[in-house]
Amino acid sequence: MKKVLSLLLLVSLTATLLAACGSNKNDSNAGNTSDSGSAKQKVVAWAWDPSFNGAALKIAEELYQRENPNFELEIVDMARTDLEQKLNTNLASGVKKGLPDIILVNDPNIQKYVTAYPNTFAEFTDKVDFSQFSQYKVDALTIDNKVYGVPFDIGVTGLFYRTDYLEQAGFTAADLENITWDEYIEIGKVVKEKTGKYMSTINPNDEALTSVLLQSGGSWYITPDNKGNFVNNPVMTETLRVYKAISDSGIAKPVTGWSEFVGSFNSGDVATVVSGVWQIASIMDAKDQSGKWAVAPTPKLNIEQGVNASNEGGSSWFVLEGTANKDLAIDFLAKTIGGSSEFYERFLTENGGVGSFIPAFSSEAYSQTSEFFSGQAIYSDFTKWSTVVPGISLGMYTQEAKDALKNELPNILNGSDLTQSLANIQKHFEQQVQ
Amino acid sequence: MGGKWNKSSLIGWQFVALPSALILLFSFYPMIQSFILSFQSGKGSVYSYVGIDNYIRLFSDPMFKQAVLNTLLYLIIQVPIMLFLGLIIAHLLNMPNLRFKGFYRTAIFLPCVTSLVSYAVLFKSIFSLDGIANQMLTSLHIINEPIAWLMDPIWARVVIIAAITWRWTGYNMIFYLSAMQNIDPSIYEAASIDGASKIRQFFTITIPMLKPILLFTAIISTNGTLQLFDEVVNITNGGPGNSTMTISQYIYNLSFQYTPNFGYAATVSYAIVIIVAVLALLQLKVGGEKR
Repeated sequence: MKKVLSLLLLVSLTATLLAACGSNKNDSNAGNTSDSGSAKQKVVAWAWDPSFNGAALKIAEELYQRENPNFELEIVDMARTDLEQKLNTNLASGVKKGLPDIILVNDPNIQKYVTAYPNTFAEFTDKVDFSQFSQYKVDALTIDNKVYGVPFDIGVTGLFYRTDYLEQAGFTAADLENITWDEYIEIGKVVKEKTGKYMSTINPNDEALTSVLLQSGGSWYITPDNKGNFVNNPVMTETLRVYKAISDSGIAKPVTGWSEFVGSFNSGDVATVVSGVWQIASIMDAKDQSGKWAVAPTPKLNIEQGVNASNEGGSSWFVLEGTANKDLAIDFLAKTIGGSSEFYERFLTENGGVGSFIPAFSSEAYSQTSEFFSGQAIYSDFTKWSTVVPGISLGMYTQEAKDALKNELPNILNGSDLTQSLANIQKHFEQQVQ
Repeated sequence: MGGKWNKSSLIGWQFVALPSALILLFSFYPMIQSFILSFQSGKGSVYSYVGIDNYIRLFSDPMFKQAVLNTLLYLIIQVPIMLFLGLIIAHLLNMPNLRFKGFYRTAIFLPCVTSLVSYAVLFKSIFSLDGIANQMLTSLHIINEPIAWLMDPIWARVVIIAAITWRWTGYNMIFYLSAMQNIDPSIYEAASIDGASKIRQFFTITIPMLKPILLFTAIISTNGTLQLFDEVVNITNGGPGNSTMTISQYIYNLSFQYTPNFGYAATVSYAIVIIVAVLALLQLKVGGEKR
């Protein structure tokens, strides 16, 4: 009797377990394949910021539904690192069930994904007129002459500054137009002396500033063929010279993380911030500083190919190959984010997002002035600068190269021989990437 | 007799069968798979077998060496400090004439129930440039200029070690305390009569009696330190300049930050397995019962 009972228990337990597994499987199937035959056509998209890129998808959905009333978009929000982890593990395991049709990709990851997961992402080469986008965004999406996505937001940089602090130190807007980094440091010293405020922040554990400097000189941590770009690279040498000069001059407040960085300008500790256009939202969080800010072009490197424009961050939309709604997803992106001026006007007005779609730049939305930024037409300035940002190849090993640099950066800041340090970084990178 | 033994053991085996099957499926199967994976290399979903190349690569990988060095440094400095502190605190709490015992015990154990991430974030803000630590030290005139704790390789390590010590000392203390309460008080009584001082009693009675527990805590602490991840990621994110990066963080970077090479990441994971096994064996040899 006991035996029968225990057997029964065992069987029922196993059965429920198996049933649970089974029903799970069915669920994920139903969620993914959706009913493409019936009236509603549903596309699933993954994004990481409901008030920014998620909101952009909502606008695009509305626009697309005008002509395709049956179209439906399901937006799944998750943190960016979670999204990247989920994508990586799913693709590496070869299980494509549960993956969406559309996915947001951070620009430095583009080449990594396309190379590491071949035949996974759909090609857009003939689907979108890429001549209407800023060239550097298209360059980032192009691998072996094929374009793998739709350019989305950009991170064209500017020199945000506090007009009141600069005025107190005796500088006008004209003094900040198209300056070099050395001039920037000199201004910073005066500001520090006259107002007691730091000129900027510095975080030796974060590569944001070095990335901005490198791209403004048309260079990157790695070469287009994925080799370390540290030795015999005048842009790299100049970048690290400037970085050390800023650190040595004492004009920069040391910070250790993002919240401290944002806190430094929200609390009025620093006079300037060099950052991407998306930083506007954080700067405007300090409501009491309205009318005290303005934006000038990014300072440039003191070398021949240096320009007063650079880029920090930005993302693009990818479509996964082999999903049931691939063609629909491509059409949706191509007609909205890939070619609708109206989309970019609404995205800017409603969410403050700046895209790289050139026809939209001449629209009314882009020429609006901002009260917070002393009546400056900031968006038209940023888009103007975005057209001169040098195009670079972000390559596959950006993160590895950044970490190799980070390893040696403390030595560089302590005054070691730069040529020797750069050789060390190059060697470190080559040992790391095999 | 044989029949009876079979019948009852059959029922027993039935109870064991399901958990065993689950452990086999969800624990041993992944272990074997990742071991196989550790002999492959490539990017993302493109893999090929490379034999023991991954294991050879470990020895020329500067990042791996740095990570091992950092982790061993935490191990050598932090584990003894923490275990000794735990022992002292447990001894103090075990004194018969101590008042408010319950309060102290709770207070010291409390850090253990905080989430790893939230206490790491707290430590980060305490040791930021304008954090409480600097404010206190400057107002007490111990230092004149605020110290950039998390930007200096040495201080950053000190902060990490302080953080894990704060979090885990109470945990080890509980083990010691419960073991101490099991020591027969008459042994101490006899020692006192023989004229042994309190300190002498602590080193010649308490510590030898705690030997199995000491060994146990040493092994789990070693194991835990080698897998250190949350604290470092949240307090310094491996910086400044990779000087606080741990092996676990390196595995994470290889899989999710860099161009994904899960094969090599699996190799590094097995390197941890080997290190843990060797250290545990060593500890058993040194501290275990001699038979």
